[in-house]
Amino acid sequence: MGDKKVTIEVNGQEIETQAGRMLIEIADEVGIPVPRFCYHKKLSVAANCRMCLVEMQAMREGMENPVVPACATPIGDGMKFYTKSPKAIAAQKGVMEFLLINHPLDCPICDQGGECELQDIAIGYGEGYSQYTEAKRVVKNKDLGPLIATDMTRCIHCTRCVRFGEEIAGTRELGMIGRGEHTEITTYLEHSISSEMSANVIDLCPVGALTSKPFRYSARSWELNNVDAIAAHDCVGSNIIVQTLHNKVKRVLPRENEALNEVWLSDRDRFSYLSQTHTERLETPMIKKGGEWQCCDWNTALTTLVAELDILVKDKKNTIGALLSPSSTLEEGYLLQKIVRGMGQHNIDFRIRQQDFSQQTLDPLYPHLGVNIDDISTLDAVMLIGSNIHKDQPIIGHRLRQAVLKNDTKVMAVSHRQYSFHFPVTENIIVHPQRIALQLAGIAKALLTLNNASAPTGLKEVIDDMLITDIQQKMAEKLQAAKRGHLILGNMIYGLEDYAQIRMLASLIASLSECNIGYLTEGANAAGLAIAGCLPHRKEVGKENNQDVGLHAQEMLSKTLDAYILLGIEPELDTLNPQQAINTLTASSMVVVMNAFVTDTMKQYANILLPISTPLETSGTFVNTNGMWQSFTGAVSPYKEARPAWKVLRVLGNLFELDDFDYRSSEEVKESIASKYTAEKFDNRIIWQEHLFENRINNVNNEPIRISDVPGYAIDAMVRRADALQDSLDMQIADKVLMNEKLAQVLQCHADNIVEVEQLEGSGKFIVAIDESIPDDCIYIPSAVAATTNLAAPFSTVSIKE
Amino acid sequence: MSTQSTDLSEGKSDVLSEQTYAEIDQWLKKYPPEQKKSAVMAALRIAQDENKGYLTTDIISAIAKYLAIPAIEVQEVATFYSMYEHNPVGKHKICVCTNISCMLNGSEHILDYIYERLGIKPGETTKDGKFTLKEVECLGACVGAPMLQVGKEYHEYLTPEKVDALLSRLD
Amino acid sequence: MGGMTRFFKSLFLVELLKGMRLTGRYLFSKKITVQYPEEKTPQSHRFRGKHALRRYANGEERCIACKLCEAVCPALAITIESEQRDDGSRRTTRYDIDLSKCIFCGFCEESCPVDSIVETREYEYHGETREDLLMTKEKLLAMGDKYEEEIAADRAKDAIYR
Repeated sequence: MGDKKVTIEVNGQEIETQAGRMLIEIADEVGIPVPRFCYHKKLSVAANCRMCLVEMQAMREGMENPVVPACATPIGDGMKFYTKSPKAIAAQKGVMEFLLINHPLDCPICDQGGECELQDIAIGYGEGYSQYTEAKRVVKNKDLGPLIATDMTRCIHCTRCVRFGEEIAGTRELGMIGRGEHTEITTYLEHSISSEMSANVIDLCPVGALTSKPFRYSARSWELNNVDAIAAHDCVGSNIIVQTLHNKVKRVLPRENEALNEVWLSDRDRFSYLSQTHTERLETPMIKKGGEWQCCDWNTALTTLVAELDILVKDKKNTIGALLSPSSTLEEGYLLQKIVRGMGQHNIDFRIRQQDFSQQTLDPLYPHLGVNIDDISTLDAVMLIGSNIHKDQPIIGHRLRQAVLKNDTKVMAVSHRQYSFHFPVTENIIVHPQRIALQLAGIAKALLTLNNASAPTGLKEVIDDMLITDIQQKMAEKLQAAKRGHLILGNMIYGLEDYAQIRMLASLIASLSECNIGYLTEGANAAGLAIAGCLPHRKEVGKENNQDVGLHAQEMLSKTLDAYILLGIEPELDTLNPQQAINTLTASSMVVVMNAFVTDTMKQYANILLPISTPLETSGTFVNTNGMWQSFTGAVSPYKEARPAWKVLRVLGNLFELDDFDYRSSEEVKESIASKYTAEKFDNRIIWQEHLFENRINNVNNEPIRISDVPGYAIDAMVRRADALQDSLDMQIADKVLMNEKLAQVLQCHADNIVEVEQLEGSGKFIVAIDESIPDDCIYIPSAVAATTNLAAPFSTVSIKE
Repeated sequence: MSTQSTDLSEGKSDVLSEQTYAEIDQWLKKYPPEQKKSAVMAALRIAQDENKGYLTTDIISAIAKYLAIPAIEVQEVATFYSMYEHNPVGKHKICVCTNISCMLNGSEHILDYIYERLGIKPGETTKDGKFTLKEVECLGACVGAPMLQVGKEYHEYLTPEKVDALLSRLD
Repeated sequence: MGGMTRFFKSLFLVELLKGMRLTGRYLFSKKITVQYPEEKTPQSHRFRGKHALRRYANGEERCIACKLCEAVCPALAITIESEQRDDGSRRTTRYDIDLSKCIFCGFCEESCPVDSIVETREYEYHGETREDLLMTKEKLLAMGDKYEEEIAADRAKDAIYR
């Protein structure tokens, strides 16, 4: 095989290509149509539908030409194929007749109707009648959870969904049981599917056996308008097609982009649109007058807002802070920071879940993964630090899994919770979060020994009397041996109190082992917002403002400012310390909330509510973790009185009479940043900061502390309101408190008991579950779920009562 | 939260006896350690024999757990092969071949005769739980058609008399 | 010659009498004018008038919201919205035909896989507002209920040609 060039002939057309490839790939490349059901370019070849039979020129004189499946016929020099010869057509028609024997004639009520591969091919190869007069088979439908609807009688057993589970999703959940006429696709004992990419089987299914449950019967494929957009829930920026009808989003599908999401889409990106018409959508601007909420028009709302803020701004002593969601668009971020800075303040931040900002000046211009997403498969070793990669960034998790399968990449994990990844992890360090830095120091020590290097100043005292554990040694060796090694700082790292130390040590490890280091972030646009200047210490495109550093997110939420502008966040869920956030905001005299949704909690601390559009309703730009700028337009017009946030901010800028606020489109806003921005390829490793380790690495006291992460379907306001996602297996954790058996015995907690968890002045009720993936002395309680809105910051002590 | 369907934790469960595990281990020795799933058919057969001739979902789960493969994979194998039973069977499983050679040589009459004698049709078990009748495909003994199989024995050139003799011999 | 003839023809009013003869003939011949609305012309069973949505004998509406009629309608007169009914079946939540757009081509009827949308023989209707000419699902079903017998008989008559 390999690169050997061969020439084949298909329908008399000569094609030169590499030997050993399958005929169907080549036919697809040159545009010769070959009907198929089971073949899919991203899945292995099964050759079980037989629809792609084509005629092949016999190799010997006198031999009859065979018909061969195009998907499973590797080509060799001089082979000749005929895809449209009478023999090929007869074979294909024969197969079609067999496939149609048991397929019901329910196209009019089938959601696949109009985009069905079987329907399309039946037009070409099917007969208008059937010779079959016996009874057709009927198969019971399976319950695969809240996302996938089934009509199993329609199944033609192509097994694409089964192969998807095994090869792409990494969880073998669907299978084909029975045989012959009794073959059925099902899950074991009819469990729901748990994969975070499960809904891709809807796209894969060539018939209407697996269809979208939330979309069920609500529209037909031919009447939908397609709008290209960018997914707004992780830092990948998956390309999507938003399908709308009568100005409502009906469905979201993946748009092929080999550099990012290939042909896949995470369930989160696919179903978050369900929140578009949630009952909590904010319909009109509202003002609180004398404790009463009143609906008003935009004019009144904005003039009131400007009047109130203007009075505040006149006195320079007053402080205004702006917090925005890491999924806000580049344009929104840019305009908001322009307003805040126009008022002479620098208090703006999108890093709302970060705890340790001590080394923020060392941050790169924007958090970059350090490796292109489509190059992940070429990495030899990857070390995940505090990342639940396949739930947080499903597409990157998928890429990493492919790397493990195809490139034998060694994946190592250091975290405070053992995640069940869909790829093997060679070395796992699961420790108390306050010991993560120590563990990294151990790996660094092992690498120093391997390299015969001496420890940098400050670290020597820390690691001198440290013993290198076996695992640390192995991790060090693997990173050292890797030609292309990579360290990834995941979503959970930012919430830790010694984030700066951890990053410093990770950077040291990367330098010692000649690896690169990268960041994975929450939200769709952390990179874009950093570039837009939504940081207290940096203006747009990374201009430092050293003299006048503003307050970062934690400072803004710990000392009450005179006014707040909140863009797209729900502080009771989206911040590290909800309890403190609510108290601080309630104490403030002026809180402007710009959000697509409204809750009762929001109404307690807010003074003005401005309805803004969701990412599906606005134009804008997201910069992904690879620094790709991806602009999109709104797929539908904003809900009721809601308006795109960039427009609201532009009008606010005008009303504040700030300079340069005459943008007519979001493109103009983007242009004004892009013109100042020069892309640079940078190294995420940072210079050694010795003072970081002056106080050593912190000590662990043995009181149990709360550890946490954000469940994949709780990450932002939209996802939290997508009902189908909330019903999925992953969200069963939302009301749970997890601990290992050892701690449960100490605390006398029993599985399935309801306990009251207290943290400072707040508490919440949770169900106890025993889980050995939790390290000693740690109590896992998720963040960003309703039950934790009264709790304080994770990674601190909690008490548990029955 | 892990779910049962994707739980790949290895280990034994109390559904299968130590002896069964020991027998499965014999088979596991024949394959490379990372190819444990090769032993799935043998494991199913051993477990079926232990459980009075049929498999349950508990057994399938236990085997999946022991071989560290997804349960659905075990179920696929267990439902594909007709020799694995999923419902209780009688003490003796009478498998009558009805494939072409046997059919031409009168296997239908043999089935009819067994119905006359025991009152069971293919797929049924006698009330006393002694016999289960099964219609099976070619067992590779066409030369002796019509034929049937009981346990591990083949009985060829069948006639009603021979069937009679056989049935009375089995207790 | 020509002058003389013309003179006598005009003197004896020949042209007029010719005309009167035609008038006289029609005066006494059989009348074909239909005295609408007292009298009506006969209708074909394929007449395409105002639309109706039919039901099955058990009262269940036939329409399954496949939206083929909406797709085929050349005047874009049909608007359908659908969802899953509580019993799991596919049903319309809205079925509107804008009669002011409709060109009565009959394609909707032709495309219907369940013989749900049909055109009845009803052609005597008017609307004083635009809303009156918007056939909603309720109105269409009411039409169907009213004319079901006639509709069924007409389809049966036409069945042999299908």
